[in-house]
Amino acid sequence: MDALLSSVDQMFNWATLLFMLVGVVAGVVAAAIPGFTITMAIVLTLPLTFQMPPLQGVAIMLAVYVGGSTGGLISAALLGIPGTPSAIATTFDAYPMARNGEPGRALAIGVWASFFSTLFSAIVLIIAAPPLAMLSVKLGAWEYFSLIVFAMTVVASLVGQSMLRGLLSGMLGIFMATIGPDPMMGVPRFTFDTDLLAAGLPFLVVLIGIFAVSQLLSEVENADQMRHAKALIPAEIVFKPWSAMREVLSHPVGLLRASTIGVLIGALPGAGGSISNLIAYDQARRSSKTPEKFGTGIPEGIVSSEAGAAATAGGGLIPLIALGIPGTAVDAVLMSSLMVHGISIGPRLILDHTDLVYGMFLAMFVAGFMMLVVCLSSMRLFLRVTDVPKYVIVPAVLTCCVVGAFALNNRLTDIYLLLVVGILGYILSKLKYPLAPLVLGVILGPIAETNLRRALMTSDHWGLFFTRPISAGLLALAALSVIFTLRQRYRQTTT
Amino acid sequence: MSAPHPDTAVHSMPENGQERAQALGHIVFNGVLLSVFALLYFRAESLPASMWEPLGSGSFPKLALGVLMVFNVALIAQQAFRLWASSALPHHSVRHWLWRHRLAFVVLALFALYTLALPWVGFGWASMAFLLVTQLALGGRGPRALIAVVLVSLVFSFGLSMLFGDVFNIILPPPAWQ
Repeated sequence: MDALLSSVDQMFNWATLLFMLVGVVAGVVAAAIPGFTITMAIVLTLPLTFQMPPLQGVAIMLAVYVGGSTGGLISAALLGIPGTPSAIATTFDAYPMARNGEPGRALAIGVWASFFSTLFSAIVLIIAAPPLAMLSVKLGAWEYFSLIVFAMTVVASLVGQSMLRGLLSGMLGIFMATIGPDPMMGVPRFTFDTDLLAAGLPFLVVLIGIFAVSQLLSEVENADQMRHAKALIPAEIVFKPWSAMREVLSHPVGLLRASTIGVLIGALPGAGGSISNLIAYDQARRSSKTPEKFGTGIPEGIVSSEAGAAATAGGGLIPLIALGIPGTAVDAVLMSSLMVHGISIGPRLILDHTDLVYGMFLAMFVAGFMMLVVCLSSMRLFLRVTDVPKYVIVPAVLTCCVVGAFALNNRLTDIYLLLVVGILGYILSKLKYPLAPLVLGVILGPIAETNLRRALMTSDHWGLFFTRPISAGLLALAALSVIFTLRQRYRQTTT
Repeated sequence: MSAPHPDTAVHSMPENGQERAQALGHIVFNGVLLSVFALLYFRAESLPASMWEPLGSGSFPKLALGVLMVFNVALIAQQAFRLWASSALPHHSVRHWLWRHRLAFVVLALFALYTLALPWVGFGWASMAFLLVTQLALGGRGPRALIAVVLVSLVFSFGLSMLFGDVFNIILPPPAWQ
């Protein structure tokens, strides 16, 4: 009780709350810029927290994290470009809804879904941190590989009109991820001794190139339309946050399912929002009575993606707090901010620094509410983006893409890669190849390869993938997932 | 001189013609990919094996490339059938398609020039030129629009450069003469 009161005292003072508010705004703005990730925003925040008390510093970084988890929604809905990897699936329905003349509704639904999901993940964090963390560390390389196989079955439902084209796109992503240094031995693969490919294809450069460059070129390709419709979304802007809240709450099962998926994936080291939004979207589509409506601009699609992504913030803290294992790069930065203050991270954290841990729980709640207030109050401002003429938006966002690609590693070669990948993305989109499977392949390919090779290094007995219970369960789920998708496609084609 | 306006011609292109164009596009694209993947597959053969693990560096990429080549062949076969079932492309349709997409190609060309000029001219000047020319090419005309074009160009070139340099300590590419 003393620890709780102490954490309340540290949290609820003007300085901490004000800095947290600034952190939420910074997170939202950073994530809304394509290529500028939450990790980057948190890394830039880290040095500013060195002089602060530990809880204040961590609370600000959590505020940036929560704000960033929602900010990706803005460019995803208004421009069709995911601001962060965790907003990829948001483009599937939020962008069509915005293009159908309802950008305000798309944003408001996304913000509310993120808010409820953040609160849900904070509650789960408090209740289930120790048992969930114990489960996630029991996973070995076999289980991780099987988990990735299961995640890859998501490709089957993202393929769009043609299964073959979707599979090719997904496999192309997996191959692209093999370019550069081998993840186990560091041997250069397919680099042709060039600086351009020496470091491989950074995931973010692929994401920006594939989605942003191709999307922006598509915006200007019809010269006739450019003459008549100059704004991105010429419809009148209507913003009704309360009706959007009721709309989100009218899908309680979908919201809860996506939030649970987000928490579970967030709790797994190495996974994160970039995977959870796609899996949550996929599961929502599979369990829907009208799966064919997904991708046309329906609220369920936005709710599932945004809730799935936002819940990973709380989920990622579970192994960090309970075991000292950072689940994602963002959690690693959070961990380092505590270590700077001489706090050792590990299973004793909750015993030795109970007030700090309670403070982190409180910070999650406070950041969630702040994110809601910031987003709802500034949404009308963000919606003005849709009024900006295309001739301004297209080159300005392309310039931001260049900055995002460069700032990632301070490498000029990443800008050239952006151009090449952008051209590839444009060709793929013109030939109607779905782009999401490619990005999913780039994310999952290296994790799959690393864990497959690690498992076989430990024991070259392939049967272990099927005899270890969790691994076998995940592979069975993967098989069921493929069968279910094929059956659903067969039904759609025969009716 | 009596030819219809290219845009009008494209809109009136029969669906069958579009089918054929798409099929041709798929065949050419997958043919190119198939050749590239075949070359890379043989290159992957030369990647070193490891005495510590059964798979080595080349196995996973070879598996991906092998599957990709199967997909390429299947898509070429599928699209060849589609090509065979469709009628010939309308006269000048390629020219009309290129004309209709002219703005996309102009923006792409300007973007390519911009990325290639960055190391020499620096982020500020290269972005300023790219933003100015692209906005004008896309239709930023008239006195009010011109003021907006110049302001946007300044903010997203030198403004961004200052923001990143002074606030985030990320120095965007400087010009070669600095």
